[in-house]
Amino acid sequence: MKKQIILFMNPIVTLTLQADLRYVRIASVTACNVAEIFADVACTAGNVAEFCHAYELSISEAFTNSVRYAEPSQPEKQITIRFSSDNSTLAASIIDTNPQFNPLTQAPDINSYPEGGYGLFLIHRLMDTVSYTRKDGTNMLTMTKRATIMHNA
Amino acid sequence: MNISEKNINSYTILSLQGILNASSAPQLKTYIAGLPDAQSIVVDLENVEFLDSSGLGALVGIARRKKTSNAVIKLARMNERVKKVFEITQAYTLFDIYDDVSAAAEA
Repeated sequence: MKKQIILFMNPIVTLTLQADLRYVRIASVTACNVAEIFADVACTAGNVAEFCHAYELSISEAFTNSVRYAEPSQPEKQITIRFSSDNSTLAASIIDTNPQFNPLTQAPDINSYPEGGYGLFLIHRLMDTVSYTRKDGTNMLTMTKRATIMHNA
Repeated sequence: MNISEKNINSYTILSLQGILNASSAPQLKTYIAGLPDAQSIVVDLENVEFLDSSGLGALVGIARRKKTSNAVIKLARMNERVKKVFEITQAYTLFDIYDDVSAAAEA
């Protein structure tokens, strides 16, 4: 079902950045801007700010993870973020050549004061769907969210 | 991110301005590492435009170290965008959170 949704989406924006934490804000601001443009067209609930923040935060998390898990042997590694949409749903795919990872995550045990491990958990809570594929050494984490039905995280 | 410091009562008040993410969180950790471990602090978040889990993780790490030093970290003036991250992760349970800085420094 998830693959069908993605298949019929039209590409909007593709952004490729060097895998460097200095560029995480470029990734998240771009996500916010794309979401805002899309939400202006698609949102019927009038909750544009919440929709944009969900993308700003999710892409910040995904880009940060991608940089942190990059192979040290690939200093010039790049991360591509591809936005696509249909009439009501915006999708963002984060594409990298990092080692394979498990995209399923549980909430970190907050009582142990963890400094990390929140990223994928947040993405799952903010987005409607999160899917992961690995093909020919390339990871693609795809998240989607409908603009017309806002879900409280 | 800009960090400014002042003292109220026995607390050091750190006012953050800007973005608190993976790029800027090390700056906050370094700044607080320069303060005495036993110094209790209030972090004023009013002018934090954006916080992600790297920013959250930095604050949680500081909270853990303050706890072991019998000091405290309090958070003040969270906006709705910052509050959402604390709510989803349940991290608000680790902090005393106040609507204004003065109340945080008096409690």
